[in-house]
Amino acid sequence: MNTTQFSNTHLSAMRSSRALSARGMRNMRRLPSTFIPTLAMPIFQAIAFSGTFFAITKLPGFPTDRSINWYLPLAVVMGSAFAGVGLGFTTIRDIETGFFDRLRMSPTPRSALILGSLIMTWVRTVIVVTMVVIVGFGFGARLTGGVVGILCLYVASIGLATVSAGWGLGIAYRFRDMRGAAIMQLTLFLVMFLSSAQTPLYVMTGWLHAVARVNPATNVLRLSRQGFLGDVTWNGVWGGLLALVGGSILTLTFAYTGLRGLERD
Amino acid sequence: MSSRSPIVASQLVRHFGSSDSPVRAVDGVDLEVREGEIFGFLGPNGAGKSTTVRMLTTLLRPTSGTATVAGFDIVREADKVRRNIGVALQDAAIDPLMTGNELLELQAVLYGIAPSSVKPRAGELLERVGLTAAADRRVGTYSGGMRRRLDLALSLIHEPTVLFLDEPTTGLDPMSRVTLWEEVRRLNKEGTTVLLTTQYLEEADQLADRIAIIDGGKIVREGAPRDLKAQVGAPTLLITVDHGLEATASRVLAEFGDMRPTAEGTLGVGLAAGARAVTDVVRRLDEEGVVVHRLELNEPSLDDVFAEATGHRLEGEK
Repeated sequence: MNTTQFSNTHLSAMRSSRALSARGMRNMRRLPSTFIPTLAMPIFQAIAFSGTFFAITKLPGFPTDRSINWYLPLAVVMGSAFAGVGLGFTTIRDIETGFFDRLRMSPTPRSALILGSLIMTWVRTVIVVTMVVIVGFGFGARLTGGVVGILCLYVASIGLATVSAGWGLGIAYRFRDMRGAAIMQLTLFLVMFLSSAQTPLYVMTGWLHAVARVNPATNVLRLSRQGFLGDVTWNGVWGGLLALVGGSILTLTFAYTGLRGLERD
Repeated sequence: MSSRSPIVASQLVRHFGSSDSPVRAVDGVDLEVREGEIFGFLGPNGAGKSTTVRMLTTLLRPTSGTATVAGFDIVREADKVRRNIGVALQDAAIDPLMTGNELLELQAVLYGIAPSSVKPRAGELLERVGLTAAADRRVGTYSGGMRRRLDLALSLIHEPTVLFLDEPTTGLDPMSRVTLWEEVRRLNKEGTTVLLTTQYLEEADQLADRIAIIDGGKIVREGAPRDLKAQVGAPTLLITVDHGLEATASRVLAEFGDMRPTAEGTLGVGLAAGARAVTDVVRRLDEEGVVVHRLELNEPSLDDVFAEATGHRLEGEK
């Protein structure tokens, strides 16, 4: 055979995934308007919430005297979640333009089509977390949990980006048009705000307390705030890790079955 | 059917919509495309051409029926089918933010081409389709013809043995269309089997060794264009007459052969006695006081084949 030499080794999912994530990053640079809101929104949220609700620190037993220490992780985690569902929007665009058919017609493993997008989302998330944290420190945030604390924030963010990317992809593969975008965003808002996003669990009452207590997002937020509300403890970490692992398995399975379903529908 | 044929479909069916009232987009298609031929799939919009191609290229699973492409089952061995086919779909699905070169390189990776071969292969294909100068420009700035040529190059990245071209020249200017035809012929001469869908009669006539006419999800005629036209036999006489005299004219025309479907405002008849009957037709019309405004004699065309098979014309629908 001439220049076109096949090799099973080269048909690996990793090589295709890397090329697909590189495409995503390149397109992000070329069309920054698709990324800037993902970055601007959490910065705005962190500053606006901590300024508007600064009196929250006066609540008896509130775990910090800096409102930004409470709201910064929330903003970062929200930003990461939206970076994740943003992948769903990008995929819908690829489906609508037909580009996704080109990817599906290739013999590359189906998992690579998901993994490639996921790698791009992780890179975007790391950029968002880093930028928002830098701005947050500029606005008075203080790290109380050291390097492990900041690591918790990155883990929570990347984990939540994975969960929401799986959700976004699953919806995109099933709806295949922008109707899916509203569902992605609405569910994300509901899950995030029916948790301890705004206030600690102990000040909530009634149904909201009951829902927030069992909402896995509460555990993820607890994990993300480990570095900002005192010392990092295993009690504050494991619930979030469990929620992220479980959530990732569920939503990525949802995405994979949706991708396979494209051929059946 | 020969087991060596690159494309073989048997009773291929595809439904869409609810199970209570499904739309039968493809309704029992039997197809055999022989090695080394250009096979034209001709039909109007919505006839089932693209749905058939989407099934044969593994994008869509059939509701029932079976098909093999390049010797592999399209459902059970979809991955092997994908390795052996090249596909250029109807809308030249190309990311406008990427350059031609980047797209070819991405395609090469997705098809598992060795890293050392990626750049040379991309360069070779860009040259082949005349896009070397535009290789580093974003595809969003390409003209329709350039996008089609790039799409063709993308479908060839892994040197497929079977090539699917879904309406490759729709929306192209005549010059770009001819350029693409030449490239398709060249590929075919090099040994690639081509299945081409089109709604253009001239395209099917010019390019295809054999064609299948599809309408309402069913294949209604199949064969070499010359043979199909010969089956229709008689040439078609088309006339336009004064408003109000159509009924009289129709009655006269019916004396000379079977009436044929035509575009609105025109009457058509297949002249059973051949072209020499034209003078008799004109004389008879004159005797009946029918003034003829326009008269056209057409040798049997694929449109006549289509009209004869389906009861309506393809060209009038575009």
